[in-house]
Amino acid sequence: MRPEGTRFYLPPEARLRQELLERLRKLFYAWGYEPVELPALEAHDPAHPLAQKAFKLVDRTGEVLALRSEFTTALARMLQAEPPPLLPVRYQYAGTLWLRERDPELGRMREYTQVGLEYVGASGPLADAEVLALALEALRALGLKGVLEVGLPGVVGEVLRATGLPPEVQARLQAAIHRKNTPELQALLRDHPTPWARTLLALPDLYGEEEVLEEALGLELPEKARADLLALRRTLEVLGEPVLLDLGMARRFDYYTGLFFRAYTEGFGLPLLGGGRYDGVLLERAAGFALGLERVMEVLRPPWAEDPPDALALDLPTLKSLQAQGMRVELAWTEDREALCAYARQRGIRLIGEKGEVRPC
Amino acid sequence: MFQEAYRALKEAGLPLPPVEGERVLLFQGEEVALLELRNKDVPVYVDLGIADAGVVGKDVLLDTDRDLYEPVDLGFGACRLSLIRHPSSTGPIRRIATKYPRFTQRVVRERGWAADVVELSGNIELAALTGLADAVVDVVQTGATLRAAGLLEVEVLAHSTARLVVNRQALKLKRALLKPLIQRLRERSR
Repeated sequence: MRPEGTRFYLPPEARLRQELLERLRKLFYAWGYEPVELPALEAHDPAHPLAQKAFKLVDRTGEVLALRSEFTTALARMLQAEPPPLLPVRYQYAGTLWLRERDPELGRMREYTQVGLEYVGASGPLADAEVLALALEALRALGLKGVLEVGLPGVVGEVLRATGLPPEVQARLQAAIHRKNTPELQALLRDHPTPWARTLLALPDLYGEEEVLEEALGLELPEKARADLLALRRTLEVLGEPVLLDLGMARRFDYYTGLFFRAYTEGFGLPLLGGGRYDGVLLERAAGFALGLERVMEVLRPPWAEDPPDALALDLPTLKSLQAQGMRVELAWTEDREALCAYARQRGIRLIGEKGEVRPC
Repeated sequence: MFQEAYRALKEAGLPLPPVEGERVLLFQGEEVALLELRNKDVPVYVDLGIADAGVVGKDVLLDTDRDLYEPVDLGFGACRLSLIRHPSSTGPIRRIATKYPRFTQRVVRERGWAADVVELSGNIELAALTGLADAVVDVVQTGATLRAAGLLEVEVLAHSTARLVVNRQALKLKRALLKPLIQRLRERSR
């Protein structure tokens, strides 16, 4: 019986998954991101953003434990326990996460693999541009043609706060903006007049190339929202690569204090990676992103052919000398030539090695 | 719905393939392919990006937790989601039958009723007539069917019309086509 939402990864898929992880590990390391490993068992914390959805276990003391359901919180706990001697610090992680429910936001498995990074202790256009540049580099390292979409959920948040409307009305406005539901937004603003109506109606349609940033700056805006947009303009200058913008992003603006971004690829309907800046939420200054490995594999649709070894060696010294020449070699398990040849033919192994010599099977 | 949506999209200048003759599921055009789906399946196809955009009633959207863009109210296909009871059911509601379980569950939670929600697939009035449930939540167009069955429309819970829904990635990646289309559909339905 295999639990729902889990999978076996057979050859060659398992190897390809490891190769992709390795490529990202190398890339992040080249930018100064050190790998960390975090425990899969955590103390259950009702305040954790995914507490509802985490798998829980009971410790022998009767305390409730939870299986790790996301990395950022785990990393923040690590830094509270072991504060780094020098800031800023850069960390990368890769590993398995578990959720009791399948969540369309996180890929559709209950046991899934995420790889990502956190850049802690720095804020501002240079730090933001670094995280965006790495997201683009990560897509390239995986051989994906992706587009990065960047938004500032805080802008919508600031304008909503400025209206001073009751919280439940603000929540409905936010939901309408998030769904770009202009008809509903108009109806809500008719029932709850506010001087910020023009700005709120303009925000959902401010998506596209970087010209929408100039359009946004032409609107009536609260002070902080304008400052954030100007900082984003500076970030994009530092980045120097085209991205898409959506200034109508209106989700979780209490969590993402600065930018929020995702990557899309043509012909695949779900985001490949997601991240942003969450200063002061778990850590004083932090930004990062994570990729779902299962999703990346789905987009890549790699060739599902196994690579057979180059040779089958009949003795250990031959195996070692062939391996020293860079070959991939298996050791024979029997003296029976016929059985070995039949096996080699079926596996697609073309050479048999004996006493340091190789010959075709 | 299909005919109305076809006309609206055609008038907004979308190059649609012709749909005369044989009933098929997939109309493949030069630039645009059309899928004819059961209304409940539209959000699934659009959320997963198999379809870039779709037309579906707000009633269906109220019952899905899929995260779609909903930029245009097309205005046709008007109906309402109502709470319906048999005249003999006057006590507190204990069991509600519906084709809209998520929406109904939300209503029950918001109002603090101690009621179970039973999901059925069709002919919901029968649940009220046979006593399977002491209330039902269903779609009402004119109310004639209800009155003929001797049921009461107790309360309108939500109004519904056809909406254009768009996949979150497609809106951005195919904005050259979709942004003007949305603009024209909005002007048309004003």
